[in-house]
Amino acid sequence: MSTQDQNHQNNSTHFGYQTVDKSEKESKVAGVFHSVAAQYDVMNDLMSFGIHRLWKRFTIDASGVRPGNKVLDLAGGTGDLTAKFSQLVGHEGKVILADINSSMLNVGRDKLRDKGLVQNIEYVQANAQYLPFEDNTFDIVTIAFGLRNVTDKDMALRSIYRVLKPGGRLLVLEFSKPEHDLINKAYDFYSFNILPKIGELVAKDGDSYQYLAESIRMHPDQETLKDMMDNAGFEQSTYKNLTGGVVALHKGYKF
Amino acid sequence: MSALLHPQLLCSGLEKLTNVALSLNLHGKKSLDKLEQKTLSIHLQEIGFPLSFTVIAQKVLVNTFAEHADCTINTSIKTLLLLKKEQQLTELIKQDKLDILGDIKVAQQFAHIAETLDIDWQSELAKHIGDIPTYKLTRASHYFTKKLKFASEQIQADASEWLVHEKRLVVTNSQISIFNQQVNDVSKQVELLINKVEPLLDKHAELSSKILKDHCE
Repeated sequence: MSTQDQNHQNNSTHFGYQTVDKSEKESKVAGVFHSVAAQYDVMNDLMSFGIHRLWKRFTIDASGVRPGNKVLDLAGGTGDLTAKFSQLVGHEGKVILADINSSMLNVGRDKLRDKGLVQNIEYVQANAQYLPFEDNTFDIVTIAFGLRNVTDKDMALRSIYRVLKPGGRLLVLEFSKPEHDLINKAYDFYSFNILPKIGELVAKDGDSYQYLAESIRMHPDQETLKDMMDNAGFEQSTYKNLTGGVVALHKGYKF
Repeated sequence: MSALLHPQLLCSGLEKLTNVALSLNLHGKKSLDKLEQKTLSIHLQEIGFPLSFTVIAQKVLVNTFAEHADCTINTSIKTLLLLKKEQQLTELIKQDKLDILGDIKVAQQFAHIAETLDIDWQSELAKHIGDIPTYKLTRASHYFTKKLKFASEQIQADASEWLVHEKRLVVTNSQISIFNQQVNDVSKQVELLINKVEPLLDKHAELSSKILKDHCE
């Protein structure tokens, strides 16, 4: 392989099935989320038949959050996890809802304020690769359905590791690889044939949901993500498959 | 192995149900004030995970982690239903049907809320479907409940008739007591017989040993 090819490979990444320049991915992903932000919650309920709420509950149950904890809900979008964490950490704790996308952050902020959740929540527009927080700041960092959209996942994991306190934990909730072939086939059919059509009908944006399906397929599988977490410095990394592996929850500690 | 999500499903349902019930309570949510930031964790024998109820900002959150509960109860669903009556707490603990760790007042306050929950279902239904349909629906439900109760009593009576008299598969209470009485009588007679036979056996053994001794000499 020539040096030019190697350079090209180092500077390129996936945007769904397309290979794009790393500098391009952020703006393309931003375009997708600016487009779907307003309908994001409705689409989540429709696409997952409401099961995303149970996946998120599972994540909160697995987090071991306690009153007084400081939590970073990365790529927190419309704030589903933040809403629960905010209640559980109490007045002495704090939750920071961070998202790279201003439209998602605005929808999340409006939603949480409408629910009366204002006391212990802060909003930060941040890139997961360059987290604007001091070292050893958070007890818990969660990233739900966000990591696959990050341009450089390894860099993001290292950045998360840096901001976690010793004893703190990272929880990554993300689409993954189904455990059985039959589920995989049904899931493929649903993702590529039905999902974009629902997106077209409800959010008037089939392309963004086509990207969603493609980005899920390009995301590292369970074992690969676990290895990536280990490489970033996390210890005792484990994962749990949910709904037959359609989604997996990875958990790792910083000691 | 894929993790099952039934604990989360149950917690989600319970949380929704509890908060809806509390919002409809005629006595309001004042009783929750004393429980602010308090957690009651219940370990039911029938299910393999704890259910923790935490009161935050006059809402009840339900989840499956029990590490920081103010009060932990180990019991069964059957006993839990009895727990609605606050005064039964001590009795149930004495009977070992209930094991409570931590602040018992938290459990008592939760039990008190359950006991005093008062919802005017008719008014709530009328808000959604109107007064006249609610009236008709309530009347119909009373009518059907009455009919259902009568039918169930009738079926029970018919079934016992059929089992006892027609098929003779089951005996009546009086037949059982007569049978029990007869068994008791036989037991007493056997006991009397044993008392008579035992001295005779002793005597027989004594005579046998004497004969054996004489024979040896």
